[in-house]
Amino acid sequence: MTHSDANDQVAAADRKTSRRDWVLLPLISLLTISLLAIGTELIARSFFTSKGTLAACEILNDPLGQHGVPDSACKAKLPESSMIEYKFNRCGHRSGLECGRKSDGSYRIVTTGASAVMGFGVRQEDDFSELLTTKLSRLTGRRIEVYNSAFAVHYGGTPRVIAQRFNDLLGPKPDMILWSFGPNDVEFSSILTVQDNIPIEKAHTSLMTTILRLRESVGGFTPQAMGRAAHIISEHTFSTLMLQHYLYESQSIYVEHFLMADDEEQGFLKSEPSAEWRSHLQEFDGYAAQIEGRAKAAGIPLVAVFVPSRAQAAMISMGKWPAGYDPYKMGEQVRRIITSHGGTYIDILPGYRTLPNPEREYLPVDGHPNADGHAMIAALLAKGLTDGTVPALKAAWAQQAAFEQGK
Amino acid sequence: MDNASFHFVSFGLAVALVSNFSRSHTWRSMVLMIASVAFLGMLARDPIVFLPLAAFLLLGYAGRVMLERGWSKLLVWSLLAVILAYIWLKKYVFLPHDILLRSPYFTVGLSYIFFRVLHLLIEAGDQNENRHVSPGAYLLYTLNFTTLISGPIQRYEDFARDQFAERPIELGPSVIGFQLERLIRGFFKVNVLAMLLHAVHEDALAQMWQPLPLPAKLFSAFRLAVVYPFFLYANFSGYIDIVIALARLMRVRLPENFDRPFSATSFLDFWNRWHITLSTWFKTYVYNPLMLVLMRRISSEAVQPLLGVFCFFVTFFLVGVWHGRTSELLVFGVLLGTGVSVNKLWQVGMTRVLGRKSYKALTKNFIYTALSRGLTFTWFALTNPLFWGDWEQLRSLAVALGRVRWLAVWLAVWLCSSVVLALWEGARAALLSIRTSEGPVLTSRYARVVYASALGLAAVVITALLNQPAPGIVYKVF
Repeated sequence: MTHSDANDQVAAADRKTSRRDWVLLPLISLLTISLLAIGTELIARSFFTSKGTLAACEILNDPLGQHGVPDSACKAKLPESSMIEYKFNRCGHRSGLECGRKSDGSYRIVTTGASAVMGFGVRQEDDFSELLTTKLSRLTGRRIEVYNSAFAVHYGGTPRVIAQRFNDLLGPKPDMILWSFGPNDVEFSSILTVQDNIPIEKAHTSLMTTILRLRESVGGFTPQAMGRAAHIISEHTFSTLMLQHYLYESQSIYVEHFLMADDEEQGFLKSEPSAEWRSHLQEFDGYAAQIEGRAKAAGIPLVAVFVPSRAQAAMISMGKWPAGYDPYKMGEQVRRIITSHGGTYIDILPGYRTLPNPEREYLPVDGHPNADGHAMIAALLAKGLTDGTVPALKAAWAQQAAFEQGK
Repeated sequence: MDNASFHFVSFGLAVALVSNFSRSHTWRSMVLMIASVAFLGMLARDPIVFLPLAAFLLLGYAGRVMLERGWSKLLVWSLLAVILAYIWLKKYVFLPHDILLRSPYFTVGLSYIFFRVLHLLIEAGDQNENRHVSPGAYLLYTLNFTTLISGPIQRYEDFARDQFAERPIELGPSVIGFQLERLIRGFFKVNVLAMLLHAVHEDALAQMWQPLPLPAKLFSAFRLAVVYPFFLYANFSGYIDIVIALARLMRVRLPENFDRPFSATSFLDFWNRWHITLSTWFKTYVYNPLMLVLMRRISSEAVQPLLGVFCFFVTFFLVGVWHGRTSELLVFGVLLGTGVSVNKLWQVGMTRVLGRKSYKALTKNFIYTALSRGLTFTWFALTNPLFWGDWEQLRSLAVALGRVRWLAVWLAVWLCSSVVLALWEGARAALLSIRTSEGPVLTSRYARVVYASALGLAAVVITALLNQPAPGIVYKVF
């Protein structure tokens, strides 16, 4: 084809682009974008909506820290979970056991911690405290009861709250206290009530509210206004949550994305923590000293365990991470803190190296462990608790061997 | 900026806009030169790092000028000098470490510049080619920012025809619309599709060393084998879509680099459809001259068909070796060469055994075609681990599954790709058969607007949501 032939063809094609097309093509584009956006949002709202509330079961403004309402029941669904019933006993704990007395001859472990320990997003029978009862009884040949005393809805169950409400742990007559915490609990060590709590959960609202907020906040077509609009849209739409949910199912995408967040979110994974994280660890140290001191005074052994975040579990499982990061670092630091105050520390992090895709056992966006995640934590904890670290729970050799082989 | 990022696309669009302020070729060349220099400046700030590249360009230009002045005996020497300088700058592993430059220097796009310089030298050595290339035109051609990073490898005559035309090629609304659609398609391919496929590949790779049950591990191995060719295609062809569209908006037509490569029914056909400008370059400057020389020396008619087999091996071995300076890519070259030469040998053998007519009939058989297509894909996929892995990684991957299981995986890849690609071809043909008087409905401007809008929305939302760079353009490191 010669040069002029090509030009003639272009000119002919342009003549064909009728006046009608100048209107029709942009309209088709607009219609496609609108249909896709609205259709995706409607689908997301049918599957990734949150329903129900724990409002009737929680006391958030107690000066000693939030706790559950005794003898209450609520139903709530997280965007990524099914509808879950939360039932609280007469002590306001989500446990199937009575808090006042334990069965004769049984060894009672009282678990404490934040929302993951409470079993946020999973059925009570699926949380790791319940699962531990069966596993530990089988491994030790003793009658073990695991009583879940954790309560945390909005960043509750922090070390400060546990220290202040320590007496709640003594109510169920424990033979041992098992304190589980994760990176969030270290970061928010000193939060006591919701008022202290700066980060607020994403408020996914109705389409109309989103549009109204957009109109109020944007007001113009400047780049800054567009940036604000994008932020509001991502915070108020379920489509973004649904997309994130599916994208985060990929181990590599999730880890890469997580490590791009600011230091506040991912700093705990760095091999050299920032000044902020060192300060969080100092605060954590202070409250850990109080908690362990109270346990010692009560004559009850305290065992602590650090449960990794989703990204941390994925990195450990992959066995590789970028320079400047170390997913084991935080575990080492809290181990030093816990043991320096006389407590026992169980290290379950190396166990994640032997698990394929442990991040799949967490809700991808929300970050709480799902039912399989609780089973995974229960298995790692059962192994750690019965390997001789806690003498009272030492498993018989044959049972331990069978357990490790997955029988 | 050395990626198909939003910044790169915006930069390219801004340059295209300014370039169209005047139709004068002086103006357009000036804009392209300023943009290309600015582009280089954005890739590396320290001017010192450009010195080796500048020296390389100077060496090439000096050779060109001498050849233009009729010193044709210098052709071989100037070619050798450029090739050796390239090997030295690329730090091929067989070179003694002591002779290499110690301080860091700029090598992005060097391979593509190398092809352009060699092309200019060879063409200048040709008695029929006596066009003078000015220093400005030489720099514009070699450093053109649209083709700098990963090609496509354009012939000088084609570049000059559009860039220096008194009457530049037309740029009407339909062309602009088509190029914008292609830009969006390319952006989507690189930043969404390639990113997702890369994630699938990375996840499958990580799973190969995790304690998975055997069926799950086999599935990971299958994904590892299958996904990379698609990732590479999305990554490279997406980038090429973007630069072709940007160049067209600047009234320059770049050559196509891909033509539905996974539809190829033989490995020879595959290389007519994959990285077309590279294989064309090698066919023009390696295969054809080598074939001519051998045919002049070996006159036996019985042997002559086998010369093609040999020449294909040499040509594609060099294609493989060009991809990098490591021993992995040396083996990659052997596998490419083996693929095309066995393919040629098969064609020669089957023609002899069945006769030309029967063999032609066989190649049109549906099952034969489907299996050949699957085998072509599988062989290409089999060479890919040498692209992304090192020996240590490949050895541990081999151990992770064992020889017999890997063999089963590759057989599964062959069968599955045969079926899936045949279904794809069938579905595509069926969809394109829905036509109006203007052509297939699916390629009408209305349908193009629909899917460009959908892809654009998806690309913007996903890149904004993840806020992380897509994997780099694989071919920019070669």
